[in-house]
Amino acid sequence: MAVAEPAVAEDAGRAWRLRGAATPYLLLAPALLALAAVSLYPIFYGIRASFHRYRYGIDMGSAGTQNYVNVYHDPVFWQAVKTTAKFVVIAVSIETLLGLALALLVARELRFASWIRVSLILPMTIAPVVVGVIWRLLFASDIGIVNPLFSWFGLAQPNVLAHGTSAFLGLVAVDTWEWTPLIFLILLAGLHSMPQDPLEAAQVDGAGRVQAFFHHTLPLLKPVLLVAIVLRTIDAVGTFDQVFVLTKGGPGTSTQLISIYSYNTAFLFTQYGQAMAMLIALLACLLLLMAAAVRFMRRTSEAVA
Amino acid sequence: MRRGSSAPMSARAGRVAIYATLALAILVALFPFWWMIDTSLKRPVDIFSGVALWPQHVTGSNYHRLFASYHFGSFLLNSVVVVAVSVTASLLIGTLAAYGLARFRLRFGIDRLALYGVLLVRMLPGILLVIPLYIVLAKWGLLNTRLGLILIYAGLNTSFVVWMMQSFLEDIPRDIEEAAMVDGDSRLTALRRVVLPLAAPGLIATAIFAVIATYNDFIIALTLTSTPSAQTVPVGVSTLIGKIQIEWGPMAAAGVVGAMPIVLFALVVQRHFVRGLTLGAVK
Repeated sequence: MAVAEPAVAEDAGRAWRLRGAATPYLLLAPALLALAAVSLYPIFYGIRASFHRYRYGIDMGSAGTQNYVNVYHDPVFWQAVKTTAKFVVIAVSIETLLGLALALLVARELRFASWIRVSLILPMTIAPVVVGVIWRLLFASDIGIVNPLFSWFGLAQPNVLAHGTSAFLGLVAVDTWEWTPLIFLILLAGLHSMPQDPLEAAQVDGAGRVQAFFHHTLPLLKPVLLVAIVLRTIDAVGTFDQVFVLTKGGPGTSTQLISIYSYNTAFLFTQYGQAMAMLIALLACLLLLMAAAVRFMRRTSEAVA
Repeated sequence: MRRGSSAPMSARAGRVAIYATLALAILVALFPFWWMIDTSLKRPVDIFSGVALWPQHVTGSNYHRLFASYHFGSFLLNSVVVVAVSVTASLLIGTLAAYGLARFRLRFGIDRLALYGVLLVRMLPGILLVIPLYIVLAKWGLLNTRLGLILIYAGLNTSFVVWMMQSFLEDIPRDIEEAAMVDGDSRLTALRRVVLPLAAPGLIATAIFAVIATYNDFIIALTLTSTPSAQTVPVGVSTLIGKIQIEWGPMAAAGVVGAMPIVLFALVVQRHFVRGLTLGAVK
Protein backbone atom coordinates (compact mmCIF):
# COMPACT_ATOMS: atom_id res chain seq x y z
CA MET A 1 0.00 0.00 0.00
CA ALA A 2 1.49 3.31 -1.03
CA VAL A 3 1.31 6.08 1.52
CA ALA A 4 -0.08 9.20 -0.15
CA GLU A 5 2.42 11.95 0.27
CA PRO A 6 2.99 15.28 -1.50
CA ALA A 7 6.23 15.01 -3.41
CA VAL A 8 7.81 18.26 -2.41
CA ALA A 9 11.47 18.76 -1.78
CA GLU A 10 12.12 21.93 0.11
CA ASP A 11 15.11 22.39 2.33
CA ALA A 12 15.62 19.27 4.40
CA GLY A 13 15.21 19.43 8.16
CA ARG A 14 11.96 21.06 9.24
CA ALA A 15 10.11 20.19 6.06
CA TRP A 16 10.81 16.50 6.67
CA ARG A 17 9.39 16.77 10.11
CA LEU A 18 6.17 18.47 9.14
CA ARG A 19 5.01 16.79 5.97
CA GLY A 20 3.07 13.53 6.11
CA ALA A 21 3.29 13.42 9.88
CA ALA A 22 1.86 9.91 9.96
CA THR A 23 4.31 8.40 7.46
CA PRO A 24 7.15 7.52 9.82
CA TYR A 25 4.76 5.99 12.33
CA LEU A 26 3.20 3.85 9.62
CA LEU A 27 6.65 2.75 8.51
CA LEU A 28 7.63 1.80 12.04
CA ALA A 29 4.42 0.21 13.25
CA PRO A 30 4.67 -3.29 11.73
CA ALA A 31 8.24 -3.80 12.90
CA LEU A 32 7.62 -2.52 16.40
CA LEU A 33 4.48 -4.63 16.74
CA ALA A 34 6.31 -7.74 15.59
CA LEU A 35 9.18 -7.04 17.97
CA ALA A 36 6.90 -6.37 20.89
CA ALA A 37 5.04 -9.61 20.20
CA VAL A 38 8.18 -11.75 20.39
CA SER A 39 10.13 -9.88 23.06
CA LEU A 40 8.21 -7.45 25.26
CA TYR A 41 5.18 -9.68 25.49
CA PRO A 42 7.14 -12.81 26.47
CA ILE A 43 9.15 -10.83 29.00
CA PHE A 44 6.05 -9.42 30.67
CA TYR A 45 4.37 -12.78 30.48
CA GLY A 46 7.51 -14.29 31.97
CA ILE A 47 7.54 -11.77 34.80
CA ARG A 48 3.92 -12.64 35.50
CA ALA A 49 4.77 -16.35 35.38
CA SER A 50 7.56 -15.80 37.89
CA PHE A 51 4.89 -14.77 40.43
CA HIS A 52 2.71 -17.80 39.71
CA ARG A 53 2.86 -21.38 40.88
CA TYR A 54 2.94 -24.11 38.25
CA ARG A 55 2.19 -27.75 38.81
CA TYR A 56 2.85 -30.23 36.00
CA GLY A 57 2.99 -27.20 33.77
CA ILE A 58 -0.44 -25.91 34.78
CA ASP A 59 -0.89 -22.43 36.21
CA MET A 60 -2.11 -22.86 39.83
CA GLY A 61 -2.57 -19.16 40.51
CA SER A 62 -0.58 -16.47 42.23
CA ALA A 63 2.37 -17.49 44.38
CA GLY A 64 3.45 -14.06 45.55
CA THR A 65 7.20 -13.89 45.79
CA GLN A 66 7.52 -17.56 46.72
CA ASN A 67 9.43 -18.49 43.54
CA TYR A 68 12.02 -15.82 44.20
CA VAL A 69 12.37 -16.91 47.81
CA ASN A 70 12.84 -20.52 46.68
CA VAL A 71 15.45 -19.53 44.13
CA TYR A 72 17.26 -17.42 46.70
CA HIS A 73 17.46 -20.40 49.07
CA ASP A 74 18.41 -22.89 46.36
CA PRO A 75 22.10 -23.88 46.63
CA VAL A 76 22.03 -25.45 43.15
CA PHE A 77 21.01 -22.08 41.71
CA TRP A 78 23.92 -20.31 43.40
CA GLN A 79 26.26 -22.99 42.16
CA ALA A 80 24.97 -22.41 38.64
CA VAL A 81 25.55 -18.67 39.09
CA LYS A 82 29.12 -19.35 40.17
CA THR A 83 29.76 -21.76 37.31
CA THR A 84 28.33 -19.30 34.81
CA ALA A 85 30.40 -16.41 36.18
CA LYS A 86 33.58 -18.48 36.12
CA PHE A 87 32.84 -19.70 32.61
CA VAL A 88 32.15 -16.22 31.27
CA VAL A 89 35.14 -14.52 32.89
CA ILE A 90 37.68 -17.16 31.91
CA ALA A 91 36.39 -17.72 28.37
CA VAL A 92 35.93 -14.04 27.50
CA SER A 93 39.38 -13.13 28.88
CA ILE A 94 41.13 -15.77 26.80
CA GLU A 95 39.08 -14.88 23.72
CA THR A 96 39.92 -11.19 24.09
CA LEU A 97 43.67 -11.78 24.34
CA LEU A 98 43.76 -14.28 21.47
CA GLY A 99 41.40 -12.21 19.33
CA LEU A 100 43.52 -9.10 19.85
CA ALA A 101 46.73 -10.96 19.00
CA LEU A 102 45.20 -12.41 15.83
CA ALA A 103 43.76 -9.07 14.75
CA LEU A 104 47.15 -7.39 15.15
CA LEU A 105 48.78 -10.17 13.11
CA VAL A 106 46.25 -10.00 10.29
CA ALA A 107 45.90 -6.19 10.13
CA ARG A 108 48.70 -5.77 7.62
CA GLU A 109 49.31 -6.58 4.02
CA LEU A 110 49.28 -10.35 3.73
CA ARG A 111 49.11 -12.78 0.87
CA PHE A 112 45.78 -14.63 0.75
CA ALA A 113 44.40 -12.12 3.29
CA SER A 114 40.75 -12.84 2.57
CA TRP A 115 41.27 -16.61 2.68
CA ILE A 116 43.10 -16.31 5.98
CA ARG A 117 40.28 -14.23 7.37
CA VAL A 118 37.49 -16.52 6.25
CA SER A 119 39.33 -19.62 7.53
CA LEU A 120 39.79 -18.04 10.93
CA ILE A 121 36.14 -17.04 11.29
CA LEU A 122 34.60 -20.29 10.07
CA PRO A 123 34.07 -21.68 13.60
CA MET A 124 31.71 -18.84 14.54
CA THR A 125 29.55 -19.18 11.45
CA ILE A 126 28.27 -22.71 11.97
CA ALA A 127 25.45 -23.69 14.29
CA PRO A 128 26.53 -23.98 17.94
CA VAL A 129 24.89 -27.41 17.91
CA VAL A 130 27.31 -28.51 15.21
CA VAL A 131 30.16 -27.05 17.26
CA GLY A 132 28.96 -29.34 20.03
CA VAL A 133 28.93 -32.34 17.68
CA ILE A 134 32.43 -31.56 16.40
CA TRP A 135 33.85 -31.44 19.91
CA ARG A 136 31.96 -34.55 20.99
CA LEU A 137 33.84 -36.29 18.19
CA LEU A 138 37.18 -34.78 19.26
CA PHE A 139 36.73 -35.39 22.99
CA ALA A 140 35.24 -38.91 22.73
CA SER A 141 37.32 -41.35 24.77
CA ASP A 142 36.93 -44.19 22.25
CA ILE A 143 36.94 -42.54 18.82
CA GLY A 144 38.24 -39.02 19.54
CA ILE A 145 41.61 -37.43 18.99
CA VAL A 146 42.18 -35.43 22.17
CA ASN A 147 43.10 -38.52 24.19
CA PRO A 148 45.59 -39.88 21.60
CA LEU A 149 47.06 -36.38 21.31
CA PHE A 150 47.75 -36.26 25.04
CA SER A 151 49.35 -39.71 24.94
CA TRP A 152 51.48 -38.62 22.02
CA PHE A 153 52.89 -35.82 24.20
CA GLY A 154 53.47 -38.37 26.97
CA LEU A 155 50.63 -37.07 29.14
CA ALA A 156 47.84 -38.98 30.89
CA GLN A 157 44.68 -39.33 28.80
CA PRO A 158 42.24 -36.73 30.14
CA ASN A 159 38.84 -38.23 29.12
CA VAL A 160 37.73 -34.61 29.01
CA LEU A 161 33.97 -34.97 29.42
CA ALA A 162 34.14 -37.60 32.16
CA HIS A 163 35.41 -35.43 35.01
CA GLY A 164 34.04 -32.19 36.44
CA THR A 165 37.07 -29.95 36.15
CA SER A 166 38.21 -31.17 32.75
CA ALA A 167 34.65 -31.00 31.38
CA PHE A 168 34.43 -27.38 32.52
CA LEU A 169 37.80 -26.54 30.97
CA GLY A 170 36.76 -28.43 27.85
CA LEU A 171 33.70 -26.18 27.53
CA VAL A 172 35.92 -23.12 27.94
CA ALA A 173 38.17 -24.45 25.16
CA VAL A 174 35.16 -25.04 22.90
CA ASP A 175 33.82 -21.55 23.55
CA THR A 176 37.27 -20.10 22.84
CA TRP A 177 37.48 -22.00 19.57
CA GLU A 178 34.04 -20.84 18.52
CA TRP A 179 34.05 -17.20 19.62
CA THR A 180 37.63 -15.87 19.47
CA PRO A 181 36.82 -15.18 15.80
CA LEU A 182 34.10 -12.69 16.79
CA ILE A 183 36.48 -10.60 18.88
CA PHE A 184 39.09 -10.93 16.15
CA LEU A 185 36.65 -9.66 13.50
CA ILE A 186 35.44 -6.69 15.51
CA LEU A 187 38.99 -5.66 16.43
CA LEU A 188 40.19 -6.14 12.86
CA ALA A 189 37.46 -3.81 11.64
CA GLY A 190 38.51 -1.36 14.36
CA LEU A 191 42.16 -1.54 13.33
CA HIS A 192 41.32 -1.02 9.67
CA SER A 193 39.35 2.13 10.42
CA MET A 194 42.14 3.66 12.53
CA PRO A 195 44.24 6.57 11.31
CA GLN A 196 47.50 5.12 10.00
CA ASP A 197 49.95 8.01 10.39
CA PRO A 198 50.92 7.73 14.05
CA LEU A 199 51.46 4.00 13.58
CA GLU A 200 53.61 4.33 10.52
CA ALA A 201 55.65 7.05 12.16
CA ALA A 202 56.11 4.87 15.21
CA GLN A 203 57.05 1.73 13.34
CA VAL A 204 60.65 1.19 14.23
CA ASP A 205 62.45 -1.62 16.01
CA GLY A 206 60.88 -4.28 18.22
CA ALA A 207 60.91 -2.31 21.49
CA GLY A 208 59.55 0.72 19.65
CA ARG A 209 56.74 -1.40 18.27
CA VAL A 210 55.67 -2.60 21.70
CA GLN A 211 55.65 0.99 22.92
CA ALA A 212 53.73 2.10 19.85
CA PHE A 213 51.13 -0.54 20.62
CA PHE A 214 50.56 0.62 24.20
CA HIS A 215 50.79 4.33 23.45
CA HIS A 216 48.96 4.58 20.13
CA THR A 217 47.11 1.48 19.03
CA LEU A 218 45.59 0.37 22.30
CA PRO A 219 44.12 3.75 23.34
CA LEU A 220 42.66 4.22 19.84
CA LEU A 221 41.28 0.70 19.87
CA LYS A 222 39.80 0.94 23.35
CA PRO A 223 36.22 1.90 22.37
CA VAL A 224 35.99 -0.98 19.89
CA LEU A 225 37.60 -3.33 22.37
CA LEU A 226 34.95 -2.42 24.94
CA VAL A 227 32.15 -3.12 22.46
CA ALA A 228 33.66 -6.49 21.63
CA ILE A 229 34.08 -7.50 25.26
CA VAL A 230 30.61 -6.41 26.38
CA LEU A 231 28.85 -8.03 23.39
CA ARG A 232 30.73 -11.27 23.90
CA THR A 233 30.06 -11.24 27.64
CA ILE A 234 26.32 -10.84 27.12
CA ASP A 235 26.29 -13.71 24.62
CA ALA A 236 28.45 -15.91 26.82
CA VAL A 237 26.05 -15.53 29.76
CA GLY A 238 23.33 -17.09 27.61
CA THR A 239 25.48 -20.01 26.37
CA PHE A 240 23.25 -23.05 26.02
CA ASP A 241 23.48 -25.07 22.80
CA GLN A 242 27.05 -26.37 23.02
CA VAL A 243 26.67 -27.29 26.68
CA PHE A 244 23.36 -29.03 25.96
CA VAL A 245 25.06 -31.14 23.30
CA LEU A 246 28.34 -31.79 25.11
CA THR A 247 27.55 -32.31 28.80
CA LYS A 248 23.93 -31.35 29.58
CA GLY A 249 25.44 -29.70 32.67
CA GLY A 250 27.28 -32.77 33.95
CA PRO A 251 29.10 -34.71 35.13
CA GLY A 252 27.12 -34.00 38.30
CA THR A 253 26.47 -30.29 38.17
CA SER A 254 30.01 -29.28 37.25
CA THR A 255 29.07 -27.58 33.97
CA GLN A 256 25.52 -26.57 34.84
CA LEU A 257 25.19 -22.98 33.66
CA ILE A 258 22.15 -20.89 34.61
CA SER A 259 20.74 -21.43 31.11
CA ILE A 260 20.90 -25.21 31.49
CA TYR A 261 19.53 -25.20 35.04
CA SER A 262 16.59 -22.99 34.15
CA TYR A 263 15.90 -25.07 31.04
CA ASN A 264 15.79 -28.22 33.15
CA THR A 265 13.66 -26.53 35.80
CA ALA A 266 11.14 -25.48 33.15
CA PHE A 267 11.10 -28.38 30.73
CA LEU A 268 12.10 -31.39 32.84
CA PHE A 269 10.41 -30.42 36.11
CA THR A 270 7.74 -28.15 34.53
CA GLN A 271 8.39 -25.50 37.20
CA TYR A 272 7.87 -22.57 34.84
CA GLY A 273 7.42 -20.07 37.65
CA GLN A 274 10.64 -20.96 39.38
CA ALA A 275 12.59 -21.05 36.11
CA MET A 276 11.29 -17.61 35.17
CA ALA A 277 12.22 -16.23 38.60
CA MET A 278 15.84 -17.26 37.95
CA LEU A 279 15.82 -15.78 34.48
CA ILE A 280 14.22 -12.50 35.52
CA ALA A 281 16.91 -12.14 38.18
CA LEU A 282 19.49 -12.86 35.51
CA LEU A 283 17.89 -10.31 33.17
CA ALA A 284 18.12 -7.66 35.85
CA CYS A 285 21.89 -8.19 35.99
CA LEU A 286 22.20 -8.40 32.21
CA LEU A 287 20.33 -5.13 31.68
CA LEU A 288 23.23 -3.23 33.21
CA LEU A 289 25.62 -4.86 30.75
CA MET A 290 23.23 -4.26 27.87
CA ALA A 291 22.89 -0.59 28.71
CA ALA A 292 26.68 -0.38 28.71
CA ALA A 293 26.79 -2.14 25.34
CA VAL A 294 24.29 0.27 23.81
CA ARG A 295 26.26 3.27 25.08
CA PHE A 296 29.58 1.93 23.81
CA MET A 297 28.11 1.04 20.45
CA ARG A 298 26.59 4.46 20.01
CA ARG A 299 29.94 6.03 20.77
CA THR A 300 31.99 3.82 18.44
CA SER A 301 29.61 4.09 15.53
CA GLU A 302 29.75 7.85 15.90
CA ALA A 303 33.52 7.89 16.34
CA VAL A 304 34.29 5.40 13.61
CA ALA A 305 31.79 6.63 11.05
CA MET B 1 48.91 -1.48 6.81
CA ARG B 2 52.23 -0.73 5.16
CA ARG B 3 55.36 -1.78 6.89
CA GLY B 4 58.31 0.46 7.55
CA SER B 5 61.69 -0.46 6.09
CA SER B 6 63.71 -2.38 8.65
CA ALA B 7 66.76 -4.53 8.06
CA PRO B 8 65.79 -7.05 5.32
CA MET B 9 66.98 -10.10 7.24
CA SER B 10 65.03 -9.52 10.43
CA ALA B 11 62.03 -8.32 8.42
CA ARG B 12 62.06 -11.59 6.56
CA ALA B 13 62.37 -13.63 9.74
CA GLY B 14 59.49 -11.61 11.16
CA ARG B 15 57.32 -12.37 8.17
CA VAL B 16 58.08 -16.07 8.40
CA ALA B 17 57.12 -16.00 12.08
CA ILE B 18 53.86 -14.23 11.26
CA TYR B 19 52.89 -16.73 8.58
CA ALA B 20 53.87 -19.65 10.79
CA THR B 21 51.68 -18.34 13.62
CA LEU B 22 48.78 -17.78 11.25
CA ALA B 23 49.20 -21.26 9.79
CA LEU B 24 48.97 -22.71 13.29
CA ALA B 25 45.86 -20.64 14.06
CA ILE B 26 44.22 -21.78 10.83
CA LEU B 27 45.08 -25.38 11.62
CA VAL B 28 43.40 -25.06 15.03
CA ALA B 29 40.37 -23.40 13.43
CA LEU B 30 39.94 -25.89 10.60
CA PHE B 31 41.20 -29.25 11.83
CA PRO B 32 38.08 -29.95 13.96
CA PHE B 33 35.97 -29.58 10.80
CA TRP B 34 38.17 -32.10 9.04
CA TRP B 35 37.88 -34.57 11.91
CA MET B 36 34.10 -34.44 11.61
CA ILE B 37 34.17 -34.90 7.82
CA ASP B 38 36.74 -37.67 8.20
CA THR B 39 34.58 -39.52 10.74
CA SER B 40 31.46 -39.10 8.65
CA LEU B 41 33.09 -40.85 5.70
CA LYS B 42 34.41 -43.84 7.66
CA ARG B 43 32.80 -47.23 8.11
CA PRO B 44 31.85 -48.05 11.72
CA VAL B 45 34.72 -50.57 11.94
CA ASP B 46 37.23 -47.96 10.85
CA ILE B 47 35.90 -45.32 13.24
CA PHE B 48 36.89 -47.54 16.14
CA SER B 49 40.20 -48.74 14.74
CA GLY B 50 42.40 -45.94 16.02
CA VAL B 51 43.38 -42.49 14.81
CA ALA B 52 43.28 -42.13 11.03
CA LEU B 53 43.45 -38.66 9.55
CA TRP B 54 42.05 -39.96 6.29
CA PRO B 55 39.19 -42.47 5.81
CA GLN B 56 40.65 -45.86 4.84
CA HIS B 57 37.49 -46.89 2.98
CA VAL B 58 35.33 -43.95 1.97
CA THR B 59 31.65 -44.70 2.42
CA GLY B 60 28.45 -42.73 1.98
CA SER B 61 26.47 -45.09 4.18
CA ASN B 62 26.36 -42.68 7.14
CA TYR B 63 24.75 -40.04 4.94
CA HIS B 64 22.40 -42.56 3.44
CA ARG B 65 21.19 -43.62 6.87
CA LEU B 66 20.70 -39.99 7.88
CA PHE B 67 18.10 -39.53 5.19
CA ALA B 68 16.72 -43.08 5.18
CA SER B 69 16.15 -43.55 8.90
CA TYR B 70 16.74 -40.25 10.71
CA HIS B 71 14.32 -37.90 8.88
CA PHE B 72 16.99 -35.50 7.61
CA GLY B 73 14.95 -34.81 4.49
CA SER B 74 12.17 -33.35 6.64
CA PHE B 75 14.58 -31.40 8.85
CA LEU B 76 16.19 -29.77 5.83
CA LEU B 77 12.84 -28.96 4.25
CA ASN B 78 11.57 -27.43 7.50
CA SER B 79 14.73 -25.35 7.85
CA VAL B 80 14.53 -24.06 4.28
CA VAL B 81 10.86 -23.11 4.57
CA VAL B 82 11.23 -21.49 7.97
CA VAL B 83 14.37 -19.56 7.04
CA ALA B 84 13.07 -18.38 3.66
CA VAL B 85 9.70 -17.13 4.86
CA SER B 86 10.81 -15.59 8.15
CA VAL B 87 13.86 -13.83 6.70
CA THR B 88 11.86 -12.39 3.81
CA ALA B 89 9.16 -11.13 6.15
CA SER B 90 11.66 -9.56 8.55
CA LEU B 91 13.59 -7.88 5.72
CA LEU B 92 10.37 -6.36 4.47
CA ILE B 93 9.01 -4.90 7.68
CA GLY B 94 12.46 -4.23 9.13
CA THR B 95 13.65 -2.22 6.14
CA LEU B 96 10.50 -0.07 6.18
CA ALA B 97 11.08 0.71 9.84
CA ALA B 98 14.78 1.34 9.29
CA TYR B 99 13.91 3.78 6.53
CA GLY B 100 11.51 5.57 8.84
CA LEU B 101 14.21 5.83 11.49
CA ALA B 102 16.88 6.96 9.05
CA ARG B 103 14.78 9.72 7.50
CA PHE B 104 12.48 11.12 10.18
CA ARG B 105 12.72 12.69 13.59
CA LEU B 106 9.86 11.44 15.73
CA ARG B 107 8.13 13.02 18.69
CA PHE B 108 9.41 12.39 22.21
CA GLY B 109 12.59 10.81 20.84
CA ILE B 110 10.63 7.69 19.88
CA ASP B 111 13.11 7.13 17.06
CA ARG B 112 16.13 6.87 19.36
CA LEU B 113 14.15 4.79 21.83
CA ALA B 114 13.04 2.43 19.07
CA LEU B 115 16.55 2.07 17.73
CA TYR B 116 18.16 1.18 21.03
CA GLY B 117 15.19 -0.93 22.08
CA VAL B 118 15.70 -2.91 18.90
CA LEU B 119 19.34 -3.45 19.81
CA LEU B 120 18.41 -4.65 23.28
CA VAL B 121 16.04 -7.27 21.85
CA ARG B 122 18.91 -8.66 19.80
CA MET B 123 20.96 -9.18 22.95
CA LEU B 124 18.33 -11.03 24.99
CA PRO B 125 19.40 -14.60 25.72
CA GLY B 126 17.18 -17.15 23.99
CA ILE B 127 16.48 -19.14 27.14
CA LEU B 128 14.76 -16.09 28.63
CA LEU B 129 12.24 -15.92 25.79
CA VAL B 130 11.47 -19.58 25.18
CA ILE B 131 9.64 -20.41 28.40
CA PRO B 132 6.94 -17.74 27.98
CA LEU B 133 6.86 -18.33 24.21
CA TYR B 134 6.28 -22.01 24.89
CA ILE B 135 3.34 -21.28 27.20
CA VAL B 136 1.83 -18.77 24.77
CA LEU B 137 2.25 -20.92 21.66
CA ALA B 138 0.72 -23.85 23.52
CA LYS B 139 -2.36 -21.69 24.16
CA TRP B 140 -2.67 -20.80 20.48
CA GLY B 141 -2.09 -24.35 19.27
CA LEU B 142 1.07 -23.29 17.43
CA LEU B 143 3.47 -25.65 19.17
CA ASN B 144 5.27 -28.01 16.81
CA THR B 145 4.28 -26.07 13.68
CA ARG B 146 6.42 -24.34 11.09
CA LEU B 147 4.09 -21.35 11.31
CA GLY B 148 4.89 -20.87 14.98
CA LEU B 149 8.63 -20.88 14.27
CA ILE B 150 8.21 -18.55 11.29
CA LEU B 151 6.30 -15.97 13.33
CA ILE B 152 8.86 -15.97 16.11
CA TYR B 153 11.96 -15.86 13.91
CA ALA B 154 10.43 -13.15 11.73
CA GLY B 155 9.85 -11.02 14.81
CA LEU B 156 13.27 -11.61 16.33
CA ASN B 157 15.15 -11.04 13.06
CA THR B 158 13.36 -7.75 12.61
CA SER B 159 15.43 -6.32 15.46
CA PHE B 160 18.64 -7.03 13.63
CA VAL B 161 17.32 -5.84 10.27
CA VAL B 162 16.19 -2.50 11.70
CA TRP B 163 19.49 -1.90 13.47
CA MET B 164 21.68 -2.71 10.45
CA MET B 165 19.52 -1.19 7.72
CA GLN B 166 19.08 2.03 9.62
CA SER B 167 22.82 2.66 9.51
CA PHE B 168 23.08 1.70 5.84
CA LEU B 169 20.14 3.87 4.79
CA GLU B 170 21.47 6.84 6.74
CA ASP B 171 24.57 6.78 4.54
CA ILE B 172 22.51 7.33 1.39
CA PRO B 173 22.05 11.00 0.52
CA ARG B 174 18.51 12.34 0.64
CA ASP B 175 18.88 14.40 -2.56
CA ILE B 176 18.59 11.30 -4.69
CA GLU B 177 15.20 10.19 -3.48
CA GLU B 178 13.99 13.79 -3.26
CA ALA B 179 14.78 14.13 -6.95
CA ALA B 180 12.79 10.98 -7.65
CA MET B 181 9.88 12.32 -5.63
CA VAL B 182 9.96 15.58 -7.58
CA ASP B 183 9.66 13.43 -10.69
CA GLY B 184 6.40 12.11 -9.29
CA ASP B 185 7.34 8.99 -7.36
CA SER B 186 5.60 8.34 -4.08
CA ARG B 187 7.89 7.85 -1.09
CA LEU B 188 7.61 4.08 -1.20
CA THR B 189 8.25 3.96 -4.93
CA ALA B 190 11.32 6.14 -4.45
CA LEU B 191 12.47 3.82 -1.70
CA ARG B 192 12.07 0.79 -3.91
CA ARG B 193 13.36 2.28 -7.17
CA VAL B 194 16.16 4.53 -5.98
CA VAL B 195 17.19 3.94 -2.39
CA LEU B 196 17.17 0.17 -2.08
CA PRO B 197 19.39 -0.48 -5.13
CA LEU B 198 21.96 1.85 -3.56
CA ALA B 199 21.62 0.06 -0.23
CA ALA B 200 21.92 -3.37 -1.86
CA PRO B 201 25.27 -4.31 -0.28
CA GLY B 202 23.85 -3.50 3.14
CA LEU B 203 20.67 -5.40 2.40
CA ILE B 204 22.70 -8.42 1.34
CA ALA B 205 24.87 -8.32 4.47
CA THR B 206 21.74 -8.06 6.59
CA ALA B 207 20.03 -10.91 4.77
CA ILE B 208 23.11 -13.09 5.18
CA PHE B 209 23.19 -12.53 8.89
CA ALA B 210 19.48 -13.18 9.24
CA VAL B 211 19.75 -16.43 7.28
CA ILE B 212 22.66 -17.66 9.38
CA ALA B 213 21.11 -16.70 12.70
CA THR B 214 17.82 -18.37 11.80
CA TYR B 215 19.27 -21.52 10.28
CA ASN B 216 21.65 -21.98 13.24
CA ASP B 217 19.17 -21.28 16.02
CA PHE B 218 18.67 -24.19 18.35
CA ILE B 219 16.99 -23.31 21.61
CA ILE B 220 13.80 -21.84 20.13
CA ALA B 221 13.28 -24.70 17.71
CA LEU B 222 14.24 -27.23 20.40
CA THR B 223 11.58 -26.08 22.84
CA LEU B 224 8.79 -25.20 20.42
CA THR B 225 8.89 -28.29 18.16
CA SER B 226 8.81 -31.97 18.99
CA THR B 227 8.47 -34.10 15.84
CA PRO B 228 10.18 -34.23 12.42
CA SER B 229 7.14 -32.51 10.91
CA ALA B 230 8.40 -29.17 12.25
CA GLN B 231 11.87 -29.76 13.70
CA THR B 232 14.74 -27.93 12.00
CA VAL B 233 18.23 -29.19 11.17
CA PRO B 234 19.99 -28.24 14.44
CA VAL B 235 17.26 -29.96 16.46
CA GLY B 236 17.53 -32.95 14.14
CA VAL B 237 21.27 -33.07 14.79
CA SER B 238 20.69 -33.03 18.52
CA THR B 239 18.21 -35.93 18.34
CA LEU B 240 21.11 -38.12 17.21
CA ILE B 241 22.97 -37.35 20.42
CA GLY B 242 20.22 -38.29 22.82
CA LYS B 243 20.45 -41.97 21.93
CA ILE B 244 21.82 -44.31 24.55
CA GLN B 245 24.25 -45.90 22.15
CA ILE B 246 25.83 -43.04 20.24
CA GLU B 247 26.20 -43.76 16.55
CA TRP B 248 29.26 -41.74 15.73
CA GLY B 249 29.11 -42.10 11.96
CA PRO B 250 25.59 -40.74 11.43
CA MET B 251 26.22 -38.12 14.11
CA ALA B 252 29.29 -36.84 12.26
CA ALA B 253 27.37 -36.91 8.99
CA ALA B 254 24.57 -34.95 10.64
CA GLY B 255 27.09 -32.34 11.76
CA VAL B 256 28.43 -32.05 8.22
CA VAL B 257 24.92 -31.63 6.79
CA GLY B 258 24.15 -29.06 9.49
CA ALA B 259 27.29 -27.03 8.78
CA MET B 260 27.49 -27.38 5.02
CA PRO B 261 24.96 -24.77 3.85
CA ILE B 262 26.45 -22.08 6.08
CA VAL B 263 30.07 -22.87 5.26
CA LEU B 264 29.35 -22.79 1.51
CA PHE B 265 27.43 -19.58 2.03
CA ALA B 266 30.36 -18.08 3.94
CA LEU B 267 32.83 -18.97 1.21
CA VAL B 268 30.64 -17.58 -1.57
CA VAL B 269 29.72 -14.28 0.02
CA GLN B 270 32.70 -13.66 2.29
CA ARG B 271 32.94 -9.98 1.36
CA HIS B 272 29.49 -9.11 2.63
CA PHE B 273 29.92 -11.32 5.61
CA VAL B 274 31.98 -9.33 8.04
CA ARG B 275 29.70 -6.46 8.85
CA GLY B 276 26.80 -8.78 9.42
CA LEU B 277 28.74 -11.00 11.77
CA THR B 278 29.93 -8.12 13.89
CA LEU B 279 26.32 -7.04 14.47
CA GLY B 280 27.15 -3.69 12.95
CA ALA B 281 29.25 -2.98 16.04
CA VAL B 282 31.79 -1.29 13.84
CA LYS B 283 30.99 0.50 10.63
